[in-house]
Amino acid sequence: MNINGVILTNRLLQRCAVKQIVTFSTKPTQQAAAAVPQQQQQQHEVAAPVVRKPIVPAHYRFVYPEFLPDPKIEWRNAVREKLERLDMLDRRRQIDLPEFYVGSILAVTSADPHAAGKTSRFVGICIHRERCGLRARFILRNVIDHQGIEVAYELYDPTIQKMEVLRLEKRLDDSLFYLRDALPEYSTFDENMEAEHLEEGALVPVNDIKVVLRPRPWLERWERQNLLGVANMDQYLKDKHRKSAEKVQKPWEKYDLMKQYRATIPEEEQKEIFAEMHTELHSLELQRKRNKRKRSFVKPKHLA
Amino acid sequence: MLRTVIGDLARLRLSNSASPSIVLVTQVREKGHLSRPRQKNPYWFVRQQRTQTEDLVTGENRNFINEVVHDTYGAPAIIKGIQTYEQKQLVKTPAPPNTDEQLWTPGLRRSGLIARKIGQYPLWLKNGERVRTTLLQVVDNHVIKYIPPEEYKPSQRPHVHNLNKYGCLLVGAESTNPALLTKEYCGIFRDSGVMPTKSLARFIVSPQAALAAGTPLNVGHFRVGDFVDVRGKTVDHGFQGVVKRHGFKGMPASHGVTKTHRRAGNIGGGGEKGRVWPGTKMPGHMGNRWRILKGLRIWRINTKYNVMWVQGSSVPGSTNGLVYIYDTILPLRKSKDAPPFPTLYEQPDAENAPEDIWYDQVHNFKDETITYKPE
Repeated sequence: MNINGVILTNRLLQRCAVKQIVTFSTKPTQQAAAAVPQQQQQQHEVAAPVVRKPIVPAHYRFVYPEFLPDPKIEWRNAVREKLERLDMLDRRRQIDLPEFYVGSILAVTSADPHAAGKTSRFVGICIHRERCGLRARFILRNVIDHQGIEVAYELYDPTIQKMEVLRLEKRLDDSLFYLRDALPEYSTFDENMEAEHLEEGALVPVNDIKVVLRPRPWLERWERQNLLGVANMDQYLKDKHRKSAEKVQKPWEKYDLMKQYRATIPEEEQKEIFAEMHTELHSLELQRKRNKRKRSFVKPKHLA
Repeated sequence: MLRTVIGDLARLRLSNSASPSIVLVTQVREKGHLSRPRQKNPYWFVRQQRTQTEDLVTGENRNFINEVVHDTYGAPAIIKGIQTYEQKQLVKTPAPPNTDEQLWTPGLRRSGLIARKIGQYPLWLKNGERVRTTLLQVVDNHVIKYIPPEEYKPSQRPHVHNLNKYGCLLVGAESTNPALLTKEYCGIFRDSGVMPTKSLARFIVSPQAALAAGTPLNVGHFRVGDFVDVRGKTVDHGFQGVVKRHGFKGMPASHGVTKTHRRAGNIGGGGEKGRVWPGTKMPGHMGNRWRILKGLRIWRINTKYNVMWVQGSSVPGSTNGLVYIYDTILPLRKSKDAPPFPTLYEQPDAENAPEDIWYDQVHNFKDETITYKPE
């Protein structure tokens, strides 16, 4: 995903240079790119009024994946998608829903009528992220008192009061359900963990940790899923497992362009969607940055 | 038979005028039951689409035809999220009297609406509960015609108690270019002043709820919190087995089971009842049937796009399919106070009205996060 992002930004830079579109982005790389065509444009268009078209940062589709609708063509409707996006933005104005990925460690505080104090806070690793629009949801996993606990949260559920990213990182796989069959220390996280600071504009680090699985029986046939983040798979496999895993592989699918096309929203459409949301999302991002600065200034850690 | 009787009567009259004589009525047995008129469809059941032939028309003439369409019905426009035409010459009904609240009594039947199911997503209630909702967009509805009770004698009688009390309201949805339609179909719209529409529906209404032709129907016809029935044609699954069609469990995949994994198994006993009983669940055609989902609450309404959020995610039909919305017939869920009657006419201060109308219990996404008060 990271590499893709880099390629995409490169392509975007080229396009910027060709079409001479002014960019408004907070990302330093793009600002630099935008500065060059701006000068050319000034030379080029003197009489004509400069139409400032905001261009959407390429990383938006990774940061806000739920803004892209379900690509299944039978389920699509422009009006519905628009209304849904407006509702999502309305919710985002009320609560700061930060950027996170599968593998990030989150703390979610939500209103809970049964909890003491009527709120509950859960810290865990995001092992799965799915669905789009208001239905977007993610699963957090942690081991508490030697018991694996998973909580599925809906991203736009109005009972969620606060979402903090304690550690922003990615893992090698798209979903980490195999943590259920891994040794418990791989999904144990301290509840009182403090948020780790990540440099602004830096790429999201990929944690290439390889987890150690427990012996069989497993919940799923992990050997068939081409997992990158598992260390000791071979230890538990017999020849029959390897053979059957070989049989169900579909190595040709990565060349199936139609399959890929049907499973994704075309790039032009993505641009359209994010261009609509861009100003709003961008201002929310700025707001978040301001708040962060304020918070870090107000709260001194060590008292003298 | 009828003809012979008439003939006899005519002869009788003749004979009366001329000279009194004995009339001999001979009974003739005919095959009258064979020549009786078949069940007639309503007059608006005509072929809609013209056969599209390669008319060798020059580009200029094509433009001219489009110009004529635009001159008669107005330029193409997107109204409330729907591609349609500005129909400014429509017959606008005069504003209703202020006493319209008194017009309504609980027994009256109002018109319904034609809508499209545009998708589904969850809403949350103020107590934190999540409800699944389906979005229905009212697509450019106009009244085409009202047929009063005296004239409305359908040969296929709808299942409505005391049908002779009610009239029929013909409503059309989604204006379309008349050049694509047959002459007969366009004829239905001639007196209404409305542009020919893609779809038509008839609603059985009380005479008090009659509407003038050309009246636009919007989502404001219903209120937030009301209950509606939604009728649609279910998704066509074709010929299906019992597992998919009736949810049978099938039989084990292994453990010696052969050739019977998704089969029904036994379909009846022996002895006295040794036959297949009527109504036994068996394989067959699944879907493509009219179904009504009753008593769905309207949680939210958007007047800008004419959309209503309705309880549930099992409204019949596919996404982007047509559905028909009625006031509910469930006795305990019927509205007790007066709904907009006969419909909500366009308000003069429509621009100031709120775009999104939420039911009291629903959490507005613009509101603050839900919290529970500690006891």
